[in-house]
Amino acid sequence: MPKNNSEKYTMDESLSLKITDLSINFGGLKAVDGLSIDVKKNEIFGLIGPNGAGKTTAFNCITQFYHPDRGEVLFRTKQGNVVNLVGRNTHDIIKLGLVRTFQNVEVIKELSLLENVLLGAHIDFKATIFEQALCLPRARREERELREKAAEGLRFMGIEALKDAKAGGQPYGVLKKVETARTLMCEPSLIILDEPAAGLNDSETAELTEIIRNIRDAYDCTILLVEHDMHLVMNVCERICAISFGEFLACGTPEEIQANALVQEAYLGEKEFKGGE
Amino acid sequence: MNNNTSLKSSSREKDNILLRIYRNPYFRYIIFGAILALIPIASGMNILPSSYITIMGSVMIYSIVGIGLNLLLGYSGLISLGTAGFMGLAAYVTGYLSVNVNAPFIVALAVSIFVVVLIGVIVGFVSLRVAGIYLAIATLCVSEILRKTFEELEWLTNGFSGLNASFPRLFGIQLNRKSTYFLIVVVLILVMMLTHNLVKGQMGRALHAMRESEVAAQAMGVNLLKYRLVVFAIATAYAAIGGALYIFFIRFSIPGTWTMALSLNILGAVVIGGLRSIYGTVIGCFVIFAIPDIVLKPLFGDVNGLQYVFSGLVVILVILFYPAGVKNMREDFFRLCRFLKKKINERKGKGEIQ
Amino acid sequence: MNGFAILLQIILRSLETGGIYALASLGIIIIFRTSRISHFAQGAMGMFNTYVAAVLVDRMGLPLGIGVIVAVCLAVFIGFLVDFLVIRRAKNAIPVTKQILTLGLVTIFVGLAPMVCGVDPLSLPKFIPTGNISVAGASLSYNGLLNILIGIIIMLVLFYTLLKTKLGIAIRTTASNEPVARLMGVPTRNVTLFAWAVAAVLGCLAGIMQAPSTSVTTGVLDTVQINALIACVLGGFQTFYGPVIGSYIIALSSNLLNYYVSSVWGNQLVYLCILIFVVFRPQGIVGKKVVKKV
Repeated sequence: MPKNNSEKYTMDESLSLKITDLSINFGGLKAVDGLSIDVKKNEIFGLIGPNGAGKTTAFNCITQFYHPDRGEVLFRTKQGNVVNLVGRNTHDIIKLGLVRTFQNVEVIKELSLLENVLLGAHIDFKATIFEQALCLPRARREERELREKAAEGLRFMGIEALKDAKAGGQPYGVLKKVETARTLMCEPSLIILDEPAAGLNDSETAELTEIIRNIRDAYDCTILLVEHDMHLVMNVCERICAISFGEFLACGTPEEIQANALVQEAYLGEKEFKGGE
Repeated sequence: MNNNTSLKSSSREKDNILLRIYRNPYFRYIIFGAILALIPIASGMNILPSSYITIMGSVMIYSIVGIGLNLLLGYSGLISLGTAGFMGLAAYVTGYLSVNVNAPFIVALAVSIFVVVLIGVIVGFVSLRVAGIYLAIATLCVSEILRKTFEELEWLTNGFSGLNASFPRLFGIQLNRKSTYFLIVVVLILVMMLTHNLVKGQMGRALHAMRESEVAAQAMGVNLLKYRLVVFAIATAYAAIGGALYIFFIRFSIPGTWTMALSLNILGAVVIGGLRSIYGTVIGCFVIFAIPDIVLKPLFGDVNGLQYVFSGLVVILVILFYPAGVKNMREDFFRLCRFLKKKINERKGKGEIQ
Repeated sequence: MNGFAILLQIILRSLETGGIYALASLGIIIIFRTSRISHFAQGAMGMFNTYVAAVLVDRMGLPLGIGVIVAVCLAVFIGFLVDFLVIRRAKNAIPVTKQILTLGLVTIFVGLAPMVCGVDPLSLPKFIPTGNISVAGASLSYNGLLNILIGIIIMLVLFYTLLKTKLGIAIRTTASNEPVARLMGVPTRNVTLFAWAVAAVLGCLAGIMQAPSTSVTTGVLDTVQINALIACVLGGFQTFYGPVIGSYIIALSSNLLNYYVSSVWGNQLVYLCILIFVVFRPQGIVGKKVVKKV
């Protein structure tokens, strides 16, 4: 329940997201334990950790899919005020300018790619249900304008040609792009990408690196990502935080993280930690 | 030459306009309505028996209710078993207002929609917080409560002896059976168009998202409870419209009409027609509510319970062997045609070689 | 009768009706746990078998015992048939429509009963036609006592089977995770087949116990069906004993309300209370809350 939303929060001007002492446990298992992270504005920030480290759980706690047991998630909204996300409704988070993607792409198969992207503009529709039912001018105008904007989003991702194709049956790489384009519709100030490279081949991953940078520059936003592909993380992220078993290990630049003994220990035996050579 | 091309392009444009009119969904709905409106005319010309007017009128009334239920079932995956109860409540409220208070058609309709939707929203607000099968059971409870109400609340419903009503007066004109039928056609087509607009717009996308990925919907700002409630409210509103039209068209209502069996039949019609299909629902209602009267009765005579066995069997067979429902028939028909054509061509090819 | 005797009488009556609800709700919960289907046709299938028993006894003049035995055998057969012809083939159906299968079954049985057995109302006699025992001023018919005992014995046998036998373990593993159970070598197909037969027999017995107090019509088990479903909601879908507790609570509270508050609206008040209860405790009395994974 939102208990202290009226309270004024402050946070350093340079920060976009400040997580303090975030904890959640499932039936005694501490999935995330006392995690604290600062994410600066306009930064590409990576969260890494071995399997089961609690990365996605941490994301779910930030976006309020899970309600954390303890801790604070301060966020600078796109309007510029600082709010605590903890205790808010899941569907209200996007209105503040925080939007996310999912590990297994969550696109709507029965809708076209364009309509899938339009879903990202859900909160921008002001027309009431009656106006929509009767197709009144405001509903029609909004639909037209946002369709244009969605087509732009698809163009940005380079898949405008496919806009009227049904999402079901499209290759995985395209669906990932659709999901990313969907996040751009709400003009976010922070985008959370949950394993954006999962299931992509090498050339697609290389393209993704470019896309992530382009998004940050074109949309002037912060990007927070969880990723297993170390090559991508080391290439694209400016700062990285490593966690293991729900606990904070280290935070720093890609070079610092690679040199960190604790991180190496946590990954011992996992071959993929050799990116960035 | 120049002249020639411009002529060509203009004729193509003309084609395009015709094609565009043909493709326009509203135009199709209107054509569909016109076809339905032919039935009383045909019966006036003694091509069809006049009982078809009542049968098809009822089919359309149940279609309106079914379209609402299809929104609920097809998009939110929720099952409501209170349809008959809500319909009955609307029928009694409308009947009471027009018979005892002498209220005009529009007022009676509006009041009954308001009352039914209010109750529906309260029930929905209580039960939609709980996911899964609870709405079905909650609406089952509500329909039980309503059924008892219809039996006991004699000042409103006239109890077991039933409530009599008459054809509506619309803008000072007293309608008869045929004109009431036309009124039902108009309402059905309007409901189809409104529903079409809703499912093609923002709300439709939100509902699609809710159905396929609740998490994506939530992440995009879709308030699940709100939309479930809205869909449930729309379904009850359509049920109310259906109930009100019923009392004006059939002009008689007893508690025994509004039983679980009716709810199940409408639900079955939705499944037969195919989830999320507007036309399919109408066809499903035709299968469930018209086929027994116009096909089975002449064929097998008046066998007890035949209608129930038939509709139950059709529903189960469709679920098991044709899960997409009637809405897929057109596509499957074309697929069959292509397949047969290929087969014939193959055979021809073989013949030529020989 | 004094106040206490009346109360005792109500409690005894509730034990009888609660037992009937409990039998029906056990059938529903066994089906729910093994086939993942809300069994709306429990009452309709029981009604059909009761109809057949009533035809044998009331119209053909056979002894009640034979009627019951035939009806129970028929119930087993129908249970097998339903699983074999319908449920088993619906493994790949869309989840939403899968729930509607049993609603289709309801329509079929409601139509089949008058088609096979005619529309004239029938009646089914009690096992023990007359005689009362009295306890502290409250009276209970021998037949009522028998019903209470039969209900309790069947439940004890069922719970013993579920908890102590190999079959019970098979049922419980199927209930908790069907694919894993199948991989572990549990014959889950036979388990669901058995579950449908058991559910049908339970429904049939509930019908035969319920029938003497009304006449046998297609609606004979309507209230039982609704109360049994609501008992499952009240008791929670996660355990086998929850719905049994729910059944007795519903029977007792509606009898109390019927006597002390309103003889017309008693049942309806109970439904209303349970609707509100579920808002605050969606998992039911003995259920556990399930955290949804993203």
